[in-house]
Amino acid sequence: MEVLHNLAFGFEHALTLQNLMFCAIGCTVGTLVGLLPGLGPLATISLLLPLTYSLPTGGALIMLSGIYYGAQYGDSVSAITMKIPHASSIVACIDGYQMTLNGKTGLALFTAGISSFVGGTVAIVVLSFLAPTLGEVAFLFGPADYCALMLLGFVCVSFVTTGSLLNGMAMCLIGVLLGQIGTDVTSGMQRFTMDMVFLSDGVGLVSIALGCFGIAEITKNLDNRNERTPFNGKIKLMPTWAEFKRIIPSALRGSVVGSFLGILPGGGPVIAQFAAYAVDKRFSKYKHEMGSGAIEGVAGQAAADEAAARTSFIPLMSIGIPENAVMALMMAAFIIKGIQPGPNMIAGHPDLFWGLVASMWVGNCFLLILNVPLVRYWLSVFKIPYSVLFPSILFFCCIGTYSVNNNLDDIFITAVFGFTGYMFMRLDLDAAPLLLGFILGPMLEENFRRALLLSRGQFTAFFTRPISGTLLGLIGIFIVWQVAAFSLQARNKTAHS
Amino acid sequence: MNDRNLVRGLFLVAISLAFGLESLRYPIGQFSRPGPGLFPLLVSCLLLLIGLITLVRSRFGERAHISFNLKNIALVLLSLCGFALISEHLNMIAGIVFMVFCSSFAGTSYSVVRNLKVSAGLIAVAFAFQKLLGLNLPLY
Repeated sequence: MEVLHNLAFGFEHALTLQNLMFCAIGCTVGTLVGLLPGLGPLATISLLLPLTYSLPTGGALIMLSGIYYGAQYGDSVSAITMKIPHASSIVACIDGYQMTLNGKTGLALFTAGISSFVGGTVAIVVLSFLAPTLGEVAFLFGPADYCALMLLGFVCVSFVTTGSLLNGMAMCLIGVLLGQIGTDVTSGMQRFTMDMVFLSDGVGLVSIALGCFGIAEITKNLDNRNERTPFNGKIKLMPTWAEFKRIIPSALRGSVVGSFLGILPGGGPVIAQFAAYAVDKRFSKYKHEMGSGAIEGVAGQAAADEAAARTSFIPLMSIGIPENAVMALMMAAFIIKGIQPGPNMIAGHPDLFWGLVASMWVGNCFLLILNVPLVRYWLSVFKIPYSVLFPSILFFCCIGTYSVNNNLDDIFITAVFGFTGYMFMRLDLDAAPLLLGFILGPMLEENFRRALLLSRGQFTAFFTRPISGTLLGLIGIFIVWQVAAFSLQARNKTAHS
Repeated sequence: MNDRNLVRGLFLVAISLAFGLESLRYPIGQFSRPGPGLFPLLVSCLLLLIGLITLVRSRFGERAHISFNLKNIALVLLSLCGFALISEHLNMIAGIVFMVFCSSFAGTSYSVVRNLKVSAGLIAVAFAFQKLLGLNLPLY
């Protein structure tokens, strides 16, 4: 009951005319900037942070979080329509873009919108009931446990990849290796930088994502000479009842996965979307369609993305630890406003905390209202002939790369990965597992080395701790299951032939 | 060399060797005190293994044709690098014009007037980015 009381208190703050306005402005501006291919949530928030300097504290935070969700949704639009992803919409490129190729862009965008709404709503329930206590879960995880969690993440590879498992594994390992480029966190040594200064900070995720997906996709379209025909038909937006029934379970699954992964430091939206996709590919009734434009492939990941984006506020607001770059930026915004996020925040500024929680849901409603009618305008991208579109996409890729660090050298890195991505495509290697490896790799290494240091080189430490032992057990069971399923399939095949 | 599986295997082996041999130059340490070279070495060994499996399998499986159209990817990369270089040494407006004119050689048709229009549009967008969003673009 106390929670309901708190939520009501929060809505009282969120629903003032002024705060509603800030929320609406944040969502709109965030969506518009996020829509531009190449500008993701991180870039959008850092660009728009100065806008909030002059606002009152509550309004500023509400507007910033609105910008965050808006940018995330806008991002998935460019991923679905043009296969130009940002960190938070990589998975949308798999089935979302396939749906576009099948002529179902409207449906894909609608699915993404409604699933984000479901994901956000579930996450807010989790946030308001559990935020005060859940933050402490993160303290239970030691290095060995994180290691096991990352390994569990790698198991997702077998689901995310559309091609053969072996190729997916290879790409994932290449991703891990690419993540090693730069300064070693533990020893401070420069690794694989070839003595180039701009590599000492590592390769940016944005450069890799834009190169391997955006640039490679453009070149593929140019190679095929398939000028995508300007789209003039009637746009089908609303799903049929049968389609709608497919969205909801998948979105709910994604919300649960996303809410949980969002809480763990280092988790967040990027990993959540991969995990949700994996869960759908295993448990969905339509799993055979995944990868070729299934609604579930869009719904699950969009819900997880949104849910994780919200629950990733939990570690920030309950223990004061930002778990990813976007949250670090939010923390900066809190501090600029003179508020120290941490255990005292909920008690010390209940109006801010509960107001923010309530405004998240209000923001969700705004996004839904904003996006459903506007989907047809997003679709007008297809009315532009490709010969005009592709130089513009190249330009946006450049700006997107540049804006992360204001560094033109990053464009060269994007170009290198454009070529690599093209090679991958021609060799039938799928780029999504590469990004998964790239994200998980550095965290895996850090925790692996830390765990070994703590246990003085004893590998038993990974099995004796309760959390990591359980997770490794799960991985073991899973691998046995996969192998059994695989051999059963092979036997059936030989029996048939 | 016109076999996709063979090329893929060679490609994977090459990447694993590039990273693996390089990681040997860093201190490996022991398991109780892992050095910076240990983890990349382990990962590249795994990748090498997968590469070798791919190579072996390509000897038995069917050959798949592989096609490269180097012209388009070269043009796209040239326009990206040209954009970065020109923006760095001259200014970004010239960079945008170069990128549009260079990349559209890869398209199906080439029209100077259309390129001028696209460039003008993109320059306007860049100005909007700079003035409205406060992006730090070296436009002129």
